[in-house]
Amino acid sequence: MSERGESMNCAEAVVAIGARCDGELAGDAAAALDAHVAGCAACRAEQAALVALRDEIRAQAPRHVAPPALRARIDAELARAFAGAGVDARLASPTIAARAKEAVLARVRTWTRERRRWFAAGAFAGALLAVVVGALTGVVARHWGGDDVAVAAVESHVAATLGGHAITVASSDRHQIKPWLSARLDYAAPVVELADSPFVLAGARVDRLGGRPVATLVYRYRLHVVDVFVRPLADAGDAPALTMVRGFAVARASGAGMEWRAVADVEPAVLAAFVGQLARTAAVPSPVGR
Amino acid sequence: MTDRAVFEAQVLPHLDAAYNLARWLTRDPHDAEDVVQEACVRALRYLASLREGGARAWFLTIVRHASYDWIERHRDRDGGDAAIEVAGDAESEPAQIAERRGDSRALAQAIAALELPYREVIVLRELEELSYKEIASVAAIPIGTVMSRLARARALLRQSPMLHAIAPRRSGGER
Repeated sequence: MSERGESMNCAEAVVAIGARCDGELAGDAAAALDAHVAGCAACRAEQAALVALRDEIRAQAPRHVAPPALRARIDAELARAFAGAGVDARLASPTIAARAKEAVLARVRTWTRERRRWFAAGAFAGALLAVVVGALTGVVARHWGGDDVAVAAVESHVAATLGGHAITVASSDRHQIKPWLSARLDYAAPVVELADSPFVLAGARVDRLGGRPVATLVYRYRLHVVDVFVRPLADAGDAPALTMVRGFAVARASGAGMEWRAVADVEPAVLAAFVGQLARTAAVPSPVGR
Repeated sequence: MTDRAVFEAQVLPHLDAAYNLARWLTRDPHDAEDVVQEACVRALRYLASLREGGARAWFLTIVRHASYDWIERHRDRDGGDAAIEVAGDAESEPAQIAERRGDSRALAQAIAALELPYREVIVLRELEELSYKEIASVAAIPIGTVMSRLARARALLRQSPMLHAIAPRRSGGER
């Protein structure tokens, strides 16, 4: 070790070497260190060791990347937080997320109440409006029967994604999900994975629909969470194949003796195609079916 | 710009950095997800305090707080350092593990075994490549402390028994 490396000794140098490696030492301090290191084998070795360690860390310690499921959760969080807030710029306050959530829940609740009042007072007006809306959007709502289930399904979807409880059993493996569901239901719900589909099975939970526990399969579609409620056809009444509730698409299909009802904030036609494919895949026994 | 647009433009680009930090601090992939989600909720709440150009350090500060809160809540469960769930472990990322060499796992283990104050400066510096100033702001410590913690963390890593396999290669570089 050099006794007096220019204006710096080894003790000082050791502290500064790290900063130099990190590009945090400049000007006179850097020049003083470099002069010392040039004349000191021990400090040169120290510097080389630090550079080697840094290279090892960067080459070999994993920098983890946010998984798609996390992105989906955050997107759902955002969608819900801002769904009721067309005026979100004015909501910038310490409780923005909480308030936005409350607003969404309140609107869903209010709307549900209004919806029921409609049924009592203005079924005809409602039906007429449905025809008009249906004609405008290309959505054919055959009739209103069973529509309350669509509302309940959307409420369940919103509550689960808002609360971050969309998935109780997280797995992309239907062989894990199926027994989990069977243990909690009085029927065997088919669990379907679609190969080469943008809809990826992410897990499941159990909800209540029409007063009975039902299987809810959770899929990811891009950044969206898609809930698929699966229950015996015997429990399900007639209902429109496709309807919109509070901006959420609700698509329905039947297959394998089950009613398949998907709820998501995605393109209605895409959702309808997806739920149709699920029901068909479940109905056709195949090596990869169920 | 609306809050949502600000969040998506300024904060979301740093989601990987957020997850990486949370993952290294909690040492668990699922808990890291929960922590980051919680951090996003907080970030939305405090969006007004976000300054131009400082989104990454600002968001990582929130993630760090959320991580520490999580660690505080789960202190009992963690059971100390005896059973460290090493980053990139078990079945979570088999492909990644398969292609790594034997000593890389040791290095990840050595970092995971560092105490929090040292682990966080190493992750922020070496993996996120933050400046000392940014690290000082995220970890709420003076720049001098950033420097001394980094030096100490590196010394600990070099002494780590988990790293003996790669030690000779390092010291062989310079006479």
